[in-house]
Amino acid sequence: MRTFQSMILVGLLAGALMLTGCQGSTATKEEETEGKHLSFLYNFATNSLDPHVDSSYVPLRAGITETLMKLDEEKLTVTPWLAESFEGDDGQNWTIHIREGVTFHNGKELDAAAVKDSLERAVKESIAVKNALKIKEMKADGQVLKIQTTEPFPEFISELVNPNTAIIDVSEDDIINRPVGTGPFELSSFSPGSKLEVERYKNYWDGAAKLDAVTFAFNEDASARTLALKSGQVDIVYRPEVESLESLKAEKGMVVDSTSTFRVHQMTMNMQREEMKDVNVRRGIDALIDREEIVDTILLGHAEPAIGPFLPSLPFAPSYEEDGQEDAVAYLKKAGYTIKDGVMQKDGKPLTLTLLTYSARADLPLIAQVFQSDAKKIGIAVKIRQIDVPEDYMGGNRDWDLATYSNLTAPRGDAGYYLNATYHPKGALNFSRAEEPELTSIIDELNRTVDQEKRAELSEAAADYVHDHMINSFILHPSTIVAYDGDRVKNWVTTKSEYYMITNKLDVKEP
Amino acid sequence: MIRLVGRKFAETGLFLLFLTFASFAFVRLAPGDPVLTILNVDEVSVSQEQVESLREEMGFDKPLLVQYGQWLLRFIQLDAGTSYVTGQPVMSMIKAGLPATMELTAGALFVMLFIALPLGSLSALYQGSWIDSLSRFLSVIGAAVPSFWLGLIFIDAFAVRLQWFPTMGREGVSTLILPALTLGVAISSVYVRLLRSNLSDALSQEFIRSGRARGIGESRLFFAHALRYSLPPVITVFGVSLGSLIGGVVVIEVLFAYPGIGKMVVDAIRQRDYPLIQGYIMVMALCVFVVNTAVDLSYRLLRPEWRRAGGGV
Repeated sequence: MRTFQSMILVGLLAGALMLTGCQGSTATKEEETEGKHLSFLYNFATNSLDPHVDSSYVPLRAGITETLMKLDEEKLTVTPWLAESFEGDDGQNWTIHIREGVTFHNGKELDAAAVKDSLERAVKESIAVKNALKIKEMKADGQVLKIQTTEPFPEFISELVNPNTAIIDVSEDDIINRPVGTGPFELSSFSPGSKLEVERYKNYWDGAAKLDAVTFAFNEDASARTLALKSGQVDIVYRPEVESLESLKAEKGMVVDSTSTFRVHQMTMNMQREEMKDVNVRRGIDALIDREEIVDTILLGHAEPAIGPFLPSLPFAPSYEEDGQEDAVAYLKKAGYTIKDGVMQKDGKPLTLTLLTYSARADLPLIAQVFQSDAKKIGIAVKIRQIDVPEDYMGGNRDWDLATYSNLTAPRGDAGYYLNATYHPKGALNFSRAEEPELTSIIDELNRTVDQEKRAELSEAAADYVHDHMINSFILHPSTIVAYDGDRVKNWVTTKSEYYMITNKLDVKEP
Repeated sequence: MIRLVGRKFAETGLFLLFLTFASFAFVRLAPGDPVLTILNVDEVSVSQEQVESLREEMGFDKPLLVQYGQWLLRFIQLDAGTSYVTGQPVMSMIKAGLPATMELTAGALFVMLFIALPLGSLSALYQGSWIDSLSRFLSVIGAAVPSFWLGLIFIDAFAVRLQWFPTMGREGVSTLILPALTLGVAISSVYVRLLRSNLSDALSQEFIRSGRARGIGESRLFFAHALRYSLPPVITVFGVSLGSLIGGVVVIEVLFAYPGIGKMVVDAIRQRDYPLIQGYIMVMALCVFVVNTAVDLSYRLLRPEWRRAGGGV
């Protein structure tokens, strides 16, 4: 009997431990109910709010921090944010005028010295930021910050849009848990991996926020996110489950909003393979891709067919005539292929392609299957191979012809990143192994050009070159989907960049 | 007792050495490394040379044994390193996530006890009755239904429709109930059947019959003798199934956005954050060691006759 009693005792102890262990953050709940409050549910969790290393960009997205430059979501151009203006005609010596009257959440004035300290920390903490900014030296004087880059680097200004370059007060102690920024909201509590609470910062330079407080929570499971919105626990959900959108739309007051992103799903072509060296084969492959069908059946309409790497609304996006599937055979004929006994062949050798795909983006394997079945119709055998880490496999192995891949093409409103990474012979994402002297020289010139209009022209020329030589083929731009309670949420904007979420304009409707 | 614990320590030391090396090798031989994540190639323009030079700088080009040796040397000095992705010390990340996982595991065990003990006992006592059929039915369902699906059903029923509990987060008991229930129900199915078969075996034993003949009360016979006799195998299975329990916790943590180390390590594996993966494996191995030692010790409390017979289990 004694044993049984001790078991009960242990059980009770465990229970008590459990109860005391999880009472941490109930106090904040009461504050939420006062005033105007919204709950936002995001699809990536973070354990750290250090804006310089956190790859979920939560501090910027939650309205705590701001960067020197911002993406104008309407014009899709870079505009000053914490900076007031900038000069740098030679592309290497930059003068940035810091906005006056901006204060950190601890009341300290934002001056060039504070910006310098913050950028220095970002470069020190993150090797990615260091690579992105290429800063040689900085000099701060009042509100003027002079920056010299290691080489002429016209993209510098657009790189300052990167959320990892956000400006914080680096003299504060606990940056991982309590970063102090300049945004419309200041942090009031943070539970790593779970959520953060922010409240209005009264002295915000661009007009105090309309909301009193916001809960920014994380849940990585799409169906759980949808259910959280249905239960009323949250007001806005980022990327709800696509399959449940119809049922969400059917609920009273629910709004489902979707916007195309700067991402492109593409068909990467391995230019080193014998068959793929012929541009007509590549054109045939491009013509085979049924973009409309893929958008409608696989992404259920939440995507935009891609005609080039860049979203058509970007100032440097070219436009092309699209080929139909029927053109595929014509292109292949030009390349010397004929259909015999239902098999596409040249000199008696059938056309067989190996197509790589990976499951980290769930729609890519499905796109591969649609392509496979369309190719089969004209006698091309496509072998689909699943790989684990695409960058690794494509970087090290050349035993494939095609690969479905997803790329950000102008995350900061500038084409430089994508063109350099994907088409420059030195680029880390140049999986096609494109070594086209003409294209390389366009990119090199882009890398020397400061003038925005000239940059746009060069970017467009590069995209044209990629299209004319069909180095890669572009399938679609997937959309970001956001669902929210339209009876409550006011002024929500789903941005293309996915950088700006909780703003000073966001509000709740009067009941 | 002290000798047993000492021997356990020695065994565990060897085991940990093997385990950490095996996991180290497996993780590093798998394709991919954290260099691409660290350089944020998805958003920042990087050249192939920069990738290679960081790979060298981080020592990923060195032989596996050298890399392992360096890690082990640091670990012996109680330095588990810092996460490649967040830059935080691995131990402080684990320390931050461990309480939530413990809470969830304890909650699930609690639920499991509340389901398995009465249901297992009653179906052993009333074999062939409706309660026996019910328990068999429930355990088949419990074993067949994936826990994440069960979790979604619970969320839909108790959070969306009835609005009794929140769907997610970690804010005290109210947010613990649904995930603990999901995990508890999922694991209890095994124990209901196990307890039933062990108890029915115990109840047919000589000592129960002789006890009954000596006039010992039925409830005392059941709790003090039969139950005690049938618990050790159940506890053994529990010790063994701890690993799967922790695996189950991962799924539940993701579903209910419960910020434990399970969720953390899933991200770490995806991003090839080696120090965090190694730290997690070490901590989990230690937890399994503690539980196994506790299981061994519990035999001595539950079956004193084994201790007198020489102590080996």
